[in-house]
Amino acid sequence: MKIVFKTARLQSGKSLQVLLGLLVAALGSLAFSPSAFAGSVDFEKHVQPILRQHCYRCHGETDDKGGLRLSRREAAFGTGDSGEPIINVGKPEESLLIHRIADADYGDVMPLDGEALSSQQIEILKRWIAEGAHWPDSAAVSRHWAYEPIARPDLPGVKHEGWIRTPVDHFILSRLDEEGLEPAPDQNRASWLRRVSLALIGLPPSPEEVDQFVNDNSADAEREVVDRLLASPRFGEKWAVGWLDLARYADSNGFQADQLRDSWAYRDWVISAYNQNKPFDEFVIEQLAGDLLPEATADQRIATGFHRTVTCNVEAGVHPEENRVNQVFDRVNTTGTVFMGTSMECAQCHDHKYDPFSQTDYYQLFAYFNNTPLEVKQTAGVTYDFYGPSMELPMEPEEADRRSELQAELAELKQQRDQRLKAADADYEAWLTDLRGKTEETDWQPVNVVDFKTTGGETWRELEDRSILITGKVPHTTTYTATVKSDLPRVTALRIEALTHPEIAGNGPGRGDPVRSNFILSEFIVTKTGGERDQKIELTAAAADYSQTRWEVPKAIDGDPSTGWAIGQEFQKPHWARFQLLKPISLAEDEQLQIEMVQNYGRGRTIGCFRLSAYSGDPLLLDVPEDLQKLAGNKKRSKAEEKKLRDHFNAADLQLARIDRQVKAVEKKLNALAPPTTLVMVEMDEPRKTCVLNRGDYLSPGKEVSPAIPALFQPGAGEYPENRLGFARWLVSNENPLLARVTVNRWWAELFGQGLVVTTEDFGSQGEPPTHPELLDWLASELRENDWSMKHVLREIVLSSTFRQSSRFTPELLERDPKNLLYARGPRFRLKAEVVRDNALAISGLLSDKMAGPPVMPYQPDGIWRSIGRNQPKWVTAKDEDRFRRGVYIVWKRDAPYTSLVSFDAPDRTACVPQRPRTNTPLQALTLLNDPAYAEMALGLTLRMLKESTDDSDHSRINRGFEIAVARDARPKEVEVLYGLLQSERQRVKEDPKLVEQRTGIKLPGFPEMDVNQQEAAAWFAVANVLLNLDETVTQE
Amino acid sequence: MHPAQIKFQQDLTRRYFLQKSGYGIGSCALASLFLQDAAAGTRENPLSPQATDFPARAKNVIYIHLVGAPSHLDLFDYKPELQKRTGELCPDEFFEGKKLAFIREQPTLLGTPDDKDFKFQSCGQSGMQISNLLPHLQTVADDITVIKTVTTEQFNHAPAQLFLLTGFGQFGRPSLGSWVTYGLGSENQNLPGFVVLITGQVLGAGSSAWGSGFVPTVYQGVEFRSQGDPVLYLSNPDGVSPGSRRDIIDAVNGLNQVHFSDVADPEIATRISQYEMAYRMQTSVPELMDINSESPEIHKLYGTEPGKTSFANNCLLARRLVERGVRFVQLFDEGWDMHGGVFNNLPRKCKQVDQPIAALLKDLKERGLLDETLVVWSSEFGRTPMAQGKNGTGAMTKAGRDHHKEAYSIWMAGGGVKGGYVHGKTDELGYAPVEKPVHVHDLNATILHLLGMNHERLTFKYQGRQFRLTDVHGHVVREILA
Repeated sequence: MKIVFKTARLQSGKSLQVLLGLLVAALGSLAFSPSAFAGSVDFEKHVQPILRQHCYRCHGETDDKGGLRLSRREAAFGTGDSGEPIINVGKPEESLLIHRIADADYGDVMPLDGEALSSQQIEILKRWIAEGAHWPDSAAVSRHWAYEPIARPDLPGVKHEGWIRTPVDHFILSRLDEEGLEPAPDQNRASWLRRVSLALIGLPPSPEEVDQFVNDNSADAEREVVDRLLASPRFGEKWAVGWLDLARYADSNGFQADQLRDSWAYRDWVISAYNQNKPFDEFVIEQLAGDLLPEATADQRIATGFHRTVTCNVEAGVHPEENRVNQVFDRVNTTGTVFMGTSMECAQCHDHKYDPFSQTDYYQLFAYFNNTPLEVKQTAGVTYDFYGPSMELPMEPEEADRRSELQAELAELKQQRDQRLKAADADYEAWLTDLRGKTEETDWQPVNVVDFKTTGGETWRELEDRSILITGKVPHTTTYTATVKSDLPRVTALRIEALTHPEIAGNGPGRGDPVRSNFILSEFIVTKTGGERDQKIELTAAAADYSQTRWEVPKAIDGDPSTGWAIGQEFQKPHWARFQLLKPISLAEDEQLQIEMVQNYGRGRTIGCFRLSAYSGDPLLLDVPEDLQKLAGNKKRSKAEEKKLRDHFNAADLQLARIDRQVKAVEKKLNALAPPTTLVMVEMDEPRKTCVLNRGDYLSPGKEVSPAIPALFQPGAGEYPENRLGFARWLVSNENPLLARVTVNRWWAELFGQGLVVTTEDFGSQGEPPTHPELLDWLASELRENDWSMKHVLREIVLSSTFRQSSRFTPELLERDPKNLLYARGPRFRLKAEVVRDNALAISGLLSDKMAGPPVMPYQPDGIWRSIGRNQPKWVTAKDEDRFRRGVYIVWKRDAPYTSLVSFDAPDRTACVPQRPRTNTPLQALTLLNDPAYAEMALGLTLRMLKESTDDSDHSRINRGFEIAVARDARPKEVEVLYGLLQSERQRVKEDPKLVEQRTGIKLPGFPEMDVNQQEAAAWFAVANVLLNLDETVTQE
Repeated sequence: MHPAQIKFQQDLTRRYFLQKSGYGIGSCALASLFLQDAAAGTRENPLSPQATDFPARAKNVIYIHLVGAPSHLDLFDYKPELQKRTGELCPDEFFEGKKLAFIREQPTLLGTPDDKDFKFQSCGQSGMQISNLLPHLQTVADDITVIKTVTTEQFNHAPAQLFLLTGFGQFGRPSLGSWVTYGLGSENQNLPGFVVLITGQVLGAGSSAWGSGFVPTVYQGVEFRSQGDPVLYLSNPDGVSPGSRRDIIDAVNGLNQVHFSDVADPEIATRISQYEMAYRMQTSVPELMDINSESPEIHKLYGTEPGKTSFANNCLLARRLVERGVRFVQLFDEGWDMHGGVFNNLPRKCKQVDQPIAALLKDLKERGLLDETLVVWSSEFGRTPMAQGKNGTGAMTKAGRDHHKEAYSIWMAGGGVKGGYVHGKTDELGYAPVEKPVHVHDLNATILHLLGMNHERLTFKYQGRQFRLTDVHGHVVREILA
């Protein structure tokens, strides 16, 4: 099909508002009253939306595949390649347009890239052509609604002004008026209180709060309730959950080696920002670019954790740059979804097919986020660890003082260490010279044995090599005492060699067994004699060529005669042991050393032949590995080689060792004081170059780009710095109509269970148009004009009559509007996973109100955390109030998120989640019925029913259960059902007393005292179990 | 089932159904259309069986994923030339400009040992080559198609697992099993449609490997555990007998019924039916997991021991699951990542899986289930023909093989694939395909095709885009179809 038309630019004559209004009317009439089709089809109302959704992405303003722009009237009334008219006025059956969307005989059914048009839509197009295909001149080729500026609409008129409570109601009611529908009556007051409490703080009202409110007839009663809820610290805990889904906040890396990492301070920042009602523009700026704000505060930097929540693969062999690029992709895509309701991902590889974002746009956004460092660090080989910028959390002043003292101390010690090292420089040089000059052996000299005695009755003789050979009797135990002299000017070490000799049975060196010729040298004792008085010589640094396991050589100088040095397994070989003298000695003319070799193991494990030698050299020259000796000899040494030598030298420096011990001690204290950290964004000093990546492949860079806002919004845009802060400032500016719309829509969805734009995640042409576009824009302007106050907007919504309607379904509504898109009844939907749990904890009376801090681990079944990876974190079930804390504080491990939340559609938070699904499954039933955490909660509710009811009657207690669980009285039929259960359970418990112990034993330490009749509690437990499982209990209605 | 549930549908379910069947809910979502669909009973339950695009060859899938990636060169892709050149430096093009996970210096070639334990055998009528490490599998060679040229795009475990199983190397997409369950529903309403069985540690991709991404969570895999409750929270708390449980559920449903008659939300009717199903699962799942009822011959065939955690037990459970109409059964077996000591470790792991897998094929065949059950042996990638001599921290190890994405072998059996067929060919050193490469997207397209689904039509709209398992790629490998 080829169409050649020179088309004139169409003027955009109509205001968006009018167009939107028309669109809405179209939607309404189509979606809710098919009878409207009795009238004629209108181009702008009915036809254009279909073309825009299905055709314009290839045949519109941005693209003209086959040369066709269906957005232009001239083109649409032209002909195809075959000469067949595209739109043949009055003759749909002869129009190519219809053929191509409905008839496979004309080739693949259009659109080629998406879902086919519905038969209704085709019918509309056919009828429009049949009726003359009226395409008014005034019809504008407007931009997609979401990209038009936000205009504050006037409040539409309504038939019953009396129903209006807040401006929100104008928009809802005028629409209902058009549809000929009546709004539902108000929900009863108690149920409204439960609804608004669950909606705003995610917790039910207490029976006392219900009583007080129901009896408060003042005109301000509702407003007071709403103000109380908005001011509650529980507010932030509830609203943070949805935001943390968007921020894909979790406590672990994801992927293999899904280790935990700390960024919970960011989670707490979100909660606190909501509680403070931080203006939403600041909320956005601080999260995207808090680090770049002038004189950024700690809190503003913590906020940047928003984009440090991205998953990170640290499995061995990962390529860090690929990992980083994937993280930046995630940041760009998440930014698009969260702040612009736009899925940018398509434009990673090519221009967006449906929405006006080019691949260049994408990489210009990418450039904003491209200046952060790598987030994996190579630790060894191809092993990597997670790292990346983090900051220390602010400390208490006293701790901070103590810390700076220690830091000063450490600095002082390090200075001392440097001085010592400097002082030792000369010694080091001398040592090097020594090393070059001689080997260790040159300084060893056998001693002269001037006297020798044994206690075991052996005989002996001295051999030529100055060794002593023991002969004769082999006693069980013995002690050799050698008195020796040495010519050396000083002695710094002594050595005993245990030698083999053919005269020893089995060659030795031990005497007792020819095969296992071991010996045990129990003690080696040296005394200087011949002076004024004998002086015991202290030995240290024992070394040996070999020691038997558990008979290591230091045991020969440990003073314990039951331990010693042995050479088991290495029989029939010579061995040596060496002992350094703590202080070198010199022997005067008349002085000798008396060396005792105690060998009291027994069974003749004694030495058969030995030689004693003395050493006069520098002990530092002992045991210098050959390679170091060689290095010392080299004229040139690399830095690493020099360090190796110096390290060896330093290791023997006793003064240095003392300083190092002190350093260690201070460091230990400092570590204990170290504050927790949290992950933050930082900008590198040198920005990276950003290129378009062909097909999204980081190895295939294309043209270079600079940071810039999408071209769509560039005309008339202000000046912004080319960094994240500039981008954030643009996002919150009036130039970006998406942020406010997307945001208020999400809040609406949180309150009503669905957005005004049902596809909260997509405001593009493929998303749903808003059901109430004017209301969306009113809320968006209300947000902007009230200092971006979230609480202000929420108040307007929850105080409306719209929000106050009964959520009862009527047959008429089920037929006309099953999805409640018109809001002719109140919202009714299952609670979010975390709220299911928090609500049950509140009902059970167990809920902890402890806020903030590291994530908690309540009960979960064994074996959930068992993924591959190093240092796999362990699940340690909290034994204190932490197990009763709100769901928002539960640790979120991406490979295995908390199971009972997963049952209720909690995501794994590996990627941005704009909207959780809401399913209804048997696994949810099993969780609420059987999860030990819920069983414990049932016991908690049991206790409350038994203790809090007005009297001891079963009826009162059942009623109390209803008050607590669903904020209302029990209906007679309900009492009947539960009473029946209670009776049969009483019977069961009576017949089987061990049930009492089992049921009341479900509780863990920290559970309130069970000061009630245990048998009754066991029966009531079943009733509580039922109440926690009601559909109504897990539903905001 | 409660009558109300038949009349009404869950909002979401309807919406998803409509999207899938091509009725956009865009600007013209028609209430009457919803009700028509409801009346036609097309999908009162998101897991009810769905019509296929064309007649299916396979009804169910047993997908065995060998986590870490077995050394296919020592099991299926016999390379005498590689053996001959063991120890030579690998050709430059195997190394230069390539990204490898562990190897950092030009490596040497590593052939299969010349040893009877490692010898390849011509098997069955086709004479396909299978290693002596898999003696039992050798006996069923005529039932399997080996594809020797699977290629993937990721060379680290977790991303490659995600790529194979979700069609995308990052998180966020639905897994193969959830696509299948979403597309076909399940035949058994008392069991989940997608069941996961695991031996060893959980793979690096974690629960995302069987997650539902952006399709509704009812389609995610449910792990049946061999220790503790087979399904989480299946057993009653202490002190709650089956009798009590029945009474409690009756009371819950009774009260829900009372409330339903007041507020009339169809969701309540659905919840009533889900509590009934939960109750049924409390019986059906333990019954399913109890393999004591199997005959001694079966235990001998599989090498199963009731009460143990083993791959053999999981194979037998897989058969019991498909027998009961569970759509997609996924087995994960960890421990195949042999960077070092491949020739010590491979025989040990093969021994654990060889007999049970062959037994599974024989048993399915015996019961007439093999025709309708597709059995897949797969992994996230293969292993290099080059030796790896250092571990992750750089320490020397006995020879192993690194991750290899260019070509590796998988096999399929039953469910409409040929028996005794070898598809594709790699070069003489086993580095890359020389004939008929099969991309992961092609593999997934083929699996969907065997199940009667056109991979280009199995879509889910999310964020304004029609997502597919195969992205915008994938060709059905027609040569392997029986």
